Amino acid sequence: MNALLAIDTTTGTSVAIVAGDRVLAEITVDDRMGHSENIGSSLAEVLKRADVRASDLTAVVAGRGPAPFTGLRVGIAAAVAFAEGIGRPLFGVVSHDAMALAAFDAGVQATAEHPLLITTDARRSEVYFTLYSGLDSHGIPMRMTEPAVAKPADLEALLQERGITAQITDVAMSAAALGRVAQAQLLVGLVSDDVTALYLRAPDAVEPKARGRIGKAVS
Amino acid sequence: MQFAMRPATEADLDEIFAIEHASFGSTAWPKQMMATELSPSPTRNYFVALDNDKIVGYAGIGVVDGNHADVMTIAVSAGQRGKGLGRALMNRIIAVAAKRGAREMFLEVRADNPVAQALYASLGFAQIDLRRAYYQPEGIDAVIMRADLSAKVAERAQQAVHEPLVLGIESSCDETGVGIVRGSTLLANVIASSMDAHARFGGVVPEIAARAHLEALQPTLREALRTAGVSLSEIDAIAVTNGPGLAGALMVGVGAAKALAVATGKPIYAVNHLVGHVGVDVLERGEVVTPTIALLVSGGHTSLLLVRDLVSDVELLGETIDDAAGEAFDKVARLLGLGYPGGPVIDQAAADGNAKAIRFPRGLTLPKDMEKHRYDFSFSGLKTAVARWVEVAEAKGEDFSVADVAASFREAVVDVLVSKAVAACLDNNVPRLLLGGGVVANRRLREAAAERCEAAGIELRIPALSLCTDNGAMIAALGAQLIMAGHEPSTLDFAADSTLSVTNIQTS
Repeated sequence: MNALLAIDTTTGTSVAIVAGDRVLAEITVDDRMGHSENIGSSLAEVLKRADVRASDLTAVVAGRGPAPFTGLRVGIAAAVAFAEGIGRPLFGVVSHDAMALAAFDAGVQATAEHPLLITTDARRSEVYFTLYSGLDSHGIPMRMTEPAVAKPADLEALLQERGITAQITDVAMSAAALGRVAQAQLLVGLVSDDVTALYLRAPDAVEPKARGRIGKAVS
Repeated sequence: MQFAMRPATEADLDEIFAIEHASFGSTAWPKQMMATELSPSPTRNYFVALDNDKIVGYAGIGVVDGNHADVMTIAVSAGQRGKGLGRALMNRIIAVAAKRGAREMFLEVRADNPVAQALYASLGFAQIDLRRAYYQPEGIDAVIMRADLSAKVAERAQQAVHEPLVLGIESSCDETGVGIVRGSTLLANVIASSMDAHARFGGVVPEIAARAHLEALQPTLREALRTAGVSLSEIDAIAVTNGPGLAGALMVGVGAAKALAVATGKPIYAVNHLVGHVGVDVLERGEVVTPTIALLVSGGHTSLLLVRDLVSDVELLGETIDDAAGEAFDKVARLLGLGYPGGPVIDQAAADGNAKAIRFPRGLTLPKDMEKHRYDFSFSGLKTAVARWVEVAEAKGEDFSVADVAASFREAVVDVLVSKAVAACLDNNVPRLLLGGGVVANRRLREAAAERCEAAGIELRIPALSLCTDNGAMIAALGAQLIMAGHEPSTLDFAADSTLSVTNIQTS
């Protein structure tokens, strides 16, 4: 059995165990604050429900975002540590890819002219967004744009400018979908081991005004 | 607490009997009976605890029918009580009983000894019966207690006996630390610091620190395991800082530790960062001698603690009401254009300065402040005073010595820190002071503490600098102490708590 553990904390805390195209178990806690509280029990519970031992897992997949900082890091940190703990490979998947797969599964048809627009809350009145033109022949969502962050009005203007009528859906983030994207990518050797967090924003920090040496030089 | 322990022999009779006689008086066993108990027997196991080859405690069990074990006796010499020795002896005999296949264990204890009863209860014993006037001639009742030697109880005792191998993860501020200890022995202490990334901001930027933790996690973990020469499968438990500290930074360590615990099937201990700074002393001298006053000074904390017992009784005497001492160093260093981090650059600048050149204020030391804030600190006013002094000097177009300003400022900080710490020792009649936290790197602080402690007859402990700054080894060390004291692991549901109280040594 090729069972893979997927962890995503871009919105709530979602963990799943996926074997091939089958979802053995999935747990999603829809709490946008308590990621570090929820992650431990969710992991223990998903193993129990899937009836899989941690050591039986063949890989771990982390959802890379995009997402606001704090929650996103909990999932990636957990994925990194879990992979170390079982001595198995760690992969990274763009979380919007998983949402796109779920949307296509739900019947959304997309083309380059009428792409699927995935958006998630970036807080501060902004959204993260990625455009998808459909699934490739391996069942992997095809990105037309890399994940980015913008004010909704600016996103609207951008789409208009490019003459795009995007389709929107209201799929929820699911680690099962994340795991299925990774499985599809693994099959054709397209999976990435990059688990870098997609913050898409610089840290909030203001450099103080530079101040030269004052007074008499140190004697 | 580290005492040697070994199986008892007949040669130990005199020493054991002396403690038996002193402890139990009229209800002590006759010497001949004790001799019989100590003679080699398939049904008996006796152990002695040693302090420098001198027997300071003993305990024995009888396993008669294989399924159940009886605690025959246990005693600790009067001068050595309250150091966890009774618990260590109990853990040893519980482990042996379980190993011999016993499913349950019984003991009797004087009804007028609540301390012993509490110890047994914490080890899994519960009262099942009361025998009236069992201890004669005083007529004291005996409480009969029983413990179910479940796999869990036995494993805990086993872990307590064998020094547990613990991996500790620390991420409360700008240092990603992974440490590995076996009992009180340091095996690895790997630290990745994001200090340089904060330099241009003149202080720790929480988001930058948290991002750095995530990036440093895997390499730091691997390096610690490599240095210790152990694999994750050999680790007995994971310990992690769950507060106090920067929330976003703490969450990285907490998320990782929980996942590591689930992935490896190991128990997890959520421990207090500040108490970790105290617990680190076990790595250098095998124990934290208590009671002790601890002064913890870093960029994030300035706390004065009274530690009566490392794993069960820590009291916060006082803390800063505004800036941490390290923060004050950073801010004044920036003001003087000296760079970052403030501690070392001010130390350097102050080297040739006159510490008495300017009398900067000592925060919260006036009589009216001392009433309410006897052990609290305040550095915000001092920082403002330095800024004001520099402004005035510059406005007057006066030439002044940065070295003197730096030295005078440093003296004001150190003076308050050490005065209050020494006062805490004297007021509480505790002749020990332990320093911890990154500001301990400050040479003047160490000097002043040494001078004033010596003058006041206080024993000063300053762990190696690599153990004073934030690190994972101190977290692992505290975790190991908790395990050896028989504490249960935390659940998987604890939160990262940025304002975790120091009295909360372990979060369940």
